[in-house]
Parts: sequence; C-alpha cells; structure tokens
Amino acid sequence: MAQFVKKDDDRDEEAEYSPFLGIEKGAVLQEARVFNDPQLDSRRCSQVITKLLYLLNQGETFTKVEATEVFFAVTKLFQSKDIGLRRMVYLMIKELSPSSDEVIIVTSSLMKDMNSKTDVYRANAIRVLCRITDGTLLTQIERYLKQAIVDKNPVVASAALVSGIHLLQTNPEIVKRWSNEVQEAVQSRAALVQFHALALLHQIRQNDRLAVSKLVTSLTRGTVRSPLAQCLLIRYTSQVIRESSMNNQSGERPFYDFLEGCLRHKAEMVIFEAARAITELNGVTSRELTPAITVLQLFLSSSKPVLRFAAVRTLNKVAMTHPMAVTNCNIDMESLISDQNRSIATLAITTLLKTGNESGVDRLMKQITNFMSDIADEFKIVVVDAIRSLCLKFPLKYRTLMNFLSNILREEGGFEYKKAIVDSIVILIRDIPDAKESGLLHLCEFIEDCEFTYLSTQILHFLGVEGPKTSDPSKYIRYIYNRVILENATVRASAVSTLAKFGAMVDSLKPRIFVLLRRCLYDNDDEVRDRATLYLNTLGGDGSVIETDKDVKEFLFGSLDIPLVNLETSLKNYEPTEEPFDISSVPKEVKSQPLAEKKAAGKKSTALGAPPASLTSAVDTYEKLLSSIPEFSTFGQLFKSSAPVELTEAETEYAVNVVKHIFDRHVVFQYNCTNTIPEQLLENVVVVVDASEAEEFAELATKPLKALPYDTPGQTFVAFEKPEGVPAVGRFSNVLKFIVKEVDPSTGEAEDDGVEDEYQLEDSEIVAADYMLKVRVSNFRNAWESLGPDFERVDEYGLGPRESLSEAVNAVINLLGMQPCEGTEVVAANSRSHACLLSGVYIGNVKVLVRLSFGVDSAKEVAMKLAVRSEDESVSDAIHEIVAN
Amino acid sequence: MLLAVLIANSEGNILVERFNGVPGEERLHWRSFLVKLGADNLKGVKNEELLVACHKYVFTPCFPLTLTTLFSPCVIKYAKLLIIFLYCFNLVSEAMFVVTSAIKDVCGKPPTERLFLDKYGRICLCLDEIVWKGLLENTDKDRIKRLIRLKPPTEF
Repeated sequence: MAQFVKKDDDRDEEAEYSPFLGIEKGAVLQEARVFNDPQLDSRRCSQVITKLLYLLNQGETFTKVEATEVFFAVTKLFQSKDIGLRRMVYLMIKELSPSSDEVIIVTSSLMKDMNSKTDVYRANAIRVLCRITDGTLLTQIERYLKQAIVDKNPVVASAALVSGIHLLQTNPEIVKRWSNEVQEAVQSRAALVQFHALALLHQIRQNDRLAVSKLVTSLTRGTVRSPLAQCLLIRYTSQVIRESSMNNQSGERPFYDFLEGCLRHKAEMVIFEAARAITELNGVTSRELTPAITVLQLFLSSSKPVLRFAAVRTLNKVAMTHPMAVTNCNIDMESLISDQNRSIATLAITTLLKTGNESGVDRLMKQITNFMSDIADEFKIVVVDAIRSLCLKFPLKYRTLMNFLSNILREEGGFEYKKAIVDSIVILIRDIPDAKESGLLHLCEFIEDCEFTYLSTQILHFLGVEGPKTSDPSKYIRYIYNRVILENATVRASAVSTLAKFGAMVDSLKPRIFVLLRRCLYDNDDEVRDRATLYLNTLGGDGSVIETDKDVKEFLFGSLDIPLVNLETSLKNYEPTEEPFDISSVPKEVKSQPLAEKKAAGKKSTALGAPPASLTSAVDTYEKLLSSIPEFSTFGQLFKSSAPVELTEAETEYAVNVVKHIFDRHVVFQYNCTNTIPEQLLENVVVVVDASEAEEFAELATKPLKALPYDTPGQTFVAFEKPEGVPAVGRFSNVLKFIVKEVDPSTGEAEDDGVEDEYQLEDSEIVAADYMLKVRVSNFRNAWESLGPDFERVDEYGLGPRESLSEAVNAVINLLGMQPCEGTEVVAANSRSHACLLSGVYIGNVKVLVRLSFGVDSAKEVAMKLAVRSEDESVSDAIHEIVAN
Repeated sequence: MLLAVLIANSEGNILVERFNGVPGEERLHWRSFLVKLGADNLKGVKNEELLVACHKYVFTPCFPLTLTTLFSPCVIKYAKLLIIFLYCFNLVSEAMFVVTSAIKDVCGKPPTERLFLDKYGRICLCLDEIVWKGLLENTDKDRIKRLIRLKPPTEF
C-alpha cells in the first residue's frame, strides 16, 4: 500500500492522480503471478489483491480460465503467515466465489483455520467456507459450526450465526437442526450475537405461527440487551399482534404494554421502531396512539435528519387515518416547513394540510407560498393534490386556496405540475359553484401565457362549456380571441370552437362573435378556416340577435356518440365516390377493450380528461341511445341511469351487465351483452324478465338484439311501466334467450341453422336509491338553512346490532343513494357516535338534504336519528319510509 | 436489509458497489439511477450533509423491481465522493452510519477520492466486516478496526 501514498502534499496534483490510473486487467493478472513466488512478498501480494478487488468492483469480469488461475494462485497465499495478507485472501476467495470442483483445493486450509487457536482466523474461515460450500461439505463441517454458534468469542459466534442465516436459503434442513444452539445464543451477553441469533431463530421458525408467538412471549418478558435485537423483537411482536387480532376481537390488545414500554428505551432506534409499530396496529385507538405520537413529536425537533424524516413520515401516515391525533404536533411540524431537507419539508406540509383546521388555513398557505419556490416539481404536485383535498374539505376557504393555486400557476414549472394545478382548479370549479367565476378567470389568465398546447386546448374547451353560463360571459371573449391572434394552429382552432359556443349560447353576443369568426376565415391554417366557416354557417348566416336552434346547440355541445376508433376505421374504408360519406353508417358499438387497457385507463384520473367528461357523456349517450329507439322515445326526460351491474360471473361464456334507466313513469333495463366464444354467433338475443316479485311494474316493450358476434358487445332492452312519482321497488329474474349458430373459425362464416338456447342470469333489482341522484352541495349548512324547517321530518330508528358504526353509516348511505357531504361518510375509529350529512335530488327533481346522527352502545346496538328537509313534504316522508322499510 | 452500497466519485464513476437482493439484470439500472440521483441532489449541498430519502426524482416504473417504493436512497457527500445507500428503513440506517464512520476512520480525515483509493483495500475489508450480503454484521468502529487487522476484539 505504501507505494500508493504520495509524500508530496500538493492538493491539485493529488486530486488528479489516482493510484489505479490506467489499470488493465491483463497486466494485473500478470502481476498475480507473484502469488506463486517461493519467497512471498506479503506487501506486494496485498497490493495485487487490492487491484483485483478494484477491477471486480468496477464491473470487470474474469473468464472462467482467468478466475480459476487467480483462485489457484490465491490459495498459495495460505502459506504466508502475514496476518494482513491472510485477511485479504479470505476476502478475495469470497469475491471470486470459486466453482464447486475448485472449492476442494481450499477446503482443507480453511478447515484448518476454522479449528485454529486464533479466534479471528476461525471467524473468517467460517464465513468463507459457508460462502463457497455446498450441501455435502456442509454436513462435514456442521459439527464445528454448531460449536461455533455457542463459542464464547462473539466474533466467532456471530460469524457462524450470520452464515446460518445465509445458508438457510440453500440448505434449510441442515440449519434447522441448529435450533438448540441458536436458542442458547439468543441469551448471549454479547449484543450482536443476540441480534444475529434472534434473526436466525425467527427465520427458522417463521412458518410456525405458534413457535413465533412463544418466542415473542418469552423474550418480551426477559431482557434483550442489544438495541438491534430489540428492534427485531418489536417487529416480530407486531407480526404476532396482527395475526392474533384476527382471532381475538375482544379484550385487551396483547403485547401493547411491551411496545409502550419500548417507547422509554434509551436507544432512539428502539423508540422509533416501537412508535411505528404502535401507529401501524390494526384499528389503533387514540388512547393507544398518544404515547407513540408524543415520542415522535420529540423526534421532530431532533438534530439528526434521519430521525426527523422518520418521525414526520410516520406522522404523515397516521394523519391519513387519525388526523386529530397528530394535531398536537402541528407547531413542531410548522417549523419543519423550512427544513433543509426537502423531503422532510414536503412531508411536514402535506401532514399539516391534512390535520389543519379551517381557521389555520390562511396562516398555513402563507408559509407554503415561501416554500414552493425551492422544491422540485414532483414535490409540488404532492402539495397541489393536498391543497385540492383541503379545499374540498373546507369549501368556504376556496378564495384563499384558489388564489394560491392561481399564483403558483403563474410561476415556472413543467407540464405535469401545471396540469396538476389546472386539474385542481377545474375540480374546484365543478364542486364549488361559488369558485366558478374566479376560477375561470384564473384559467383565462393562464392561457395568455401558456406554453403547453395540450393545456391551452383543454382549458379553451372547458371555457366553452362553462363560460357562457356565467353572469357576464363577454369578459372571457377577449382572452379567447387573443388565442386566435397569438397562438399556434391547434390552439387557434380550439379558440374558434370556443367562440362559436359562446355565440350559440349567448344570443346578445352573437353579432360580435360573428365579426370575430369572420376574421378567422383568412387564417393561414386549413382547420381554423374550416371550423370558422362551419360555425358561421351552422349559427345562421347574418349574425343577428336571434335564438340559436336547438339542433345547432346539440351539434356544438353534444358529445360525438360514435366511438372515435369506429369513425376512424370507417373513414379509412371509405372510397371516394359520388356518394358522400354517411356518418350514420358508422357502427356505434364499442369494441371491448383488452383488460390491461381498461385497467390502465381506470388509473388515470384527471379533471380535464376522461372521468368528468365520461360521466356526463355517459348520461348523454344513454339519453341519445334511448331516444333513438322509437318504443322508448315517448318516455320523456331520463332521470337517472345506474352504473352497470354485472349479471354474470367473470370469465363466463356470455358476459351480461344491466344498466337501469329511470324515467318518471317508466323503467328501462339495458342489458349489455358480450359473446366470449369465438366459435359462436348468437342471434335474436333477448332477456326474458320475470317481474312476479315486482308487482307495481308492468312489462311494456322488448327490443331484441339481432346478432351478437364474438367480442362485439350489443344491447337488448326491456321496458316497464310503473305508477308515476311512486318509488316502486322490486326484484326481477332474468334469462338470456338466443339462437346459437356455429362459426367456422377459419372462414369466420356462420352456419345457416341454429339452435335455440338460454342462459340463466343473476336477478336484478330496483331499489329506493335508484330514484335518488347524488348531487353535491358546496355548503351544507347554508343549503340546510335555505330549505327551511317547513317540510322537515325527524324520527328515530333502531338499527339493531351491527358489525361497527362505520358499517351502519355506510349501509344507510347506500340505502338512500345520496351524496355524503363534507367528508362525513368517514367514521373515526372506535368513536361511539357520528353525524353524517347527505344531499341529493329525488325523482321529480326535488332537492333533499339529510342529517343523520348515529349512536352505538356497548352491545353494538346502533340507534339513528334521521332529519330530512326537502322542497316537498311527500318526499321528506318518502325518505323516512325508505328507512322504515 | 441494505440493498446497495455504492461509492462513486463526483463524475459518477463507481469506486465500490455492493448489491444485495437486487437481481443482476437490474443492477445496471439501479447503478446509473442512484449515481445520477446522488449527483443531482448534491448541488449546493454542504460537505458531509446527510440527504435522507432525498429523491428529487420519484421512482419511475422503469425498474422491474416490484418493491421499489419501499426503499429510500440516502446520499452522503464528501469533497469528491458520494456514498449512496439503498435501504429499507430503520435497522439499516444504523449500518449506514457504521459504513460512513468506518470510511472516515480509515481515511483519517474527511474522505476524498484520492484518500479513498489510497486506502482501497482496507475499505473493502471494512465493508466486508460491516455488511455481508445485506446483513449487518458488525457495528462497533473499534472492533471493525481490529478485525480488519485480524486482531481479536478487546471487549471480552
């Protein structure tokens, strides 16, 4: 090593010079020949081994021949008595990991070392042997290893125990025989031996739940000296608690006292481990949490970043389920906002956003503003998401939070970050009506200086839908028309569409919009010109102040009820002839997506993108679909369409789900059917519905499906009449009937003759919740006051013994089918009472608000007080009837 | 479990790498990712500052390792040296401190690349004593110092 050390202390030169500069594998392998010298130069040999290690660590690989040569040469070094060199030799053999046929060369030397009088030789020989050994050799040395485990020298014992942990993977049956020795080692006075022994003992017994439980019981009573072992014990204890709580619902939680006791341990790692274990207990109560939160709070002001990080990360998790328990730490957490470590600061902020109360929002926002400028986009997105949730929780604070979002929208940032902010603003506009005007203006200002075409076009689209419905739509025109002047073609085209929407919806603006649209006729982009021409024509030539046609509005605002994929295919297949392309010839059936795609689509949830659009468009599509069927066209306005309910199990021959469409006097079942058998074509598909358990419903019409080829979904409908305004309920049994025809897989052609067949489906139900629309109110208290007490109905109900309060609350919410407000659907764990606020619109477009107060006694009997306010007395009564029945 | 210890210079060249429980085919990904992560986080960082879980870059699904999110990298910077750990929490933070203090100890003063390379062999021995296949084996500084010279520990 000495030759590497440079005597000269010139710093610049020192930095440039590396002792391994220009190192080459070939040369080092040549040098390794010194290992064969009869007169060994220990120092030189150590240097060569260092170089070999360096090469290996650089990712250099040795060929089989090279590795064998080096290995044989290294074994010669056992002759040397130099201690330093011997230590390097042990390491080198481990790094080379010789093949099983070569190991034999070195085993006798290692076994000799293993029984040497020098303890450290023994420890190292054990480690090397266990690293390179196979099953047969292991049985030969097993006796020595067992002795080593209980050796009085902790280095030897630890080496044997750690080897055992690694060998357990490859030779479990041998290592399991060492249980007694390992158990003895657990009682060792040496800290590390105890740690290693406990780890090994647990691994040996890990599949035996009872044995682990016994191990934990005995050790938690005794004294475990090593803090590391104590940490392991805490982990094993929480595992036992998790498993036992599944069987043991009542009574005291086992081992809690042990965990709580560990919070007073002198080692920080033990304290943290215990605190984390307590916070992760299933159904942990506030009382159990308190001592753990207290120690974590102390860690928040520690000088060690690891401790601060660990504490704030744990508290962040606790805040998701028990926000109230963490509020005590808020002051300490606030000081962490300025922490140098950005991970800690971000965790502190997101925790505060979850635990803060309404009055503290303004102060918190001020602190966050300073913090936002110096963190990375990924962290900022987390903060934006947290702020959005906070705003939905406290809708009255929308002004502060919306301002914050608009401020950060103006600052520098990447696409994902900006998109997160825009999405949040859109969600707030949608859910908090009061926030609409200011939110739209913020978005308008943003597109004035937005570098992302995608975001600009999405916002323009959103403006086109929402802008005309505001009190003063004219103020948005300037922003939109600026896009026509300043932006690229894609954004210009979007802006033209948005202008047209304003023209269609706001008659007074029409003449002025026409002037603007006419200017677009001279744009240098085809698409922009085409759109302008199209809209000028559809909106009605001269641009006078007249009401826009219903058809035109439909054209502008209606969603395209044809799947884009189908349109694309049809357009590709269209051959230019005299006959123009007919859009009605495009099939409307949606090809079923492969499962993976569906899953991927399901994960994406953005405000501007699919979900809200698809929610509204789903209703639109249903409405259009139903009105296009002559039998149903007279049913009037569609009140509600349910989510699809599966009537078949997954992966059956035919997949069928039903969508329930509720009208004032009718109910239509839409059965979506998919044929999953490639060799079959189904024809004349109908669902035969037996309504004998639904007395108030009378079958009116059935619309069969002509053909159901493989993997192309189709629909069949059955309509029922019901008494007007009555929330009739009932159960319907369904049988799918069809004619099945064999299909030749090679040609894809079906045989002429078919066989009649039927397929039993699950029952469907019409329940009270089907007559209720989930509609959110931004401020429940205001809405409640404004409805007034005139039609208020209050009564009390006993719900009988329930599994938990939370289960009872959810059952009532589902029964009524109403929208929970202000997060009141979440019941705090172990609370004995709960208040829940619901809102909705009942059939006949009657607004309904509900206040539920629940209480539970020790026998889990749940009592409920139900207060209903609505615009109609009979509806308030109807809600009570639903619950009473 | 300490999944990886990487020691790199500030240009991103790896000087020592020790992986455990990371499949061979994934090591290259992790290696370049961790080094980049280390370098990216070090702008304006004081010497010897501990950057816990300081992932400016959130883990992306380019790594097939299924449990990626469980692991937090930690970076320690010396003048021209990064020590990067990939670890599951708590017990291993102990290992992290042992590794860094052992390296400091061997180098005799705050480590630089040069000092590190000069003591390369001894540092390899230290790592061998502290972590074996991801498992913490020795934690005491003095004991490690003695063990790499094959001297028995003093404590018994």
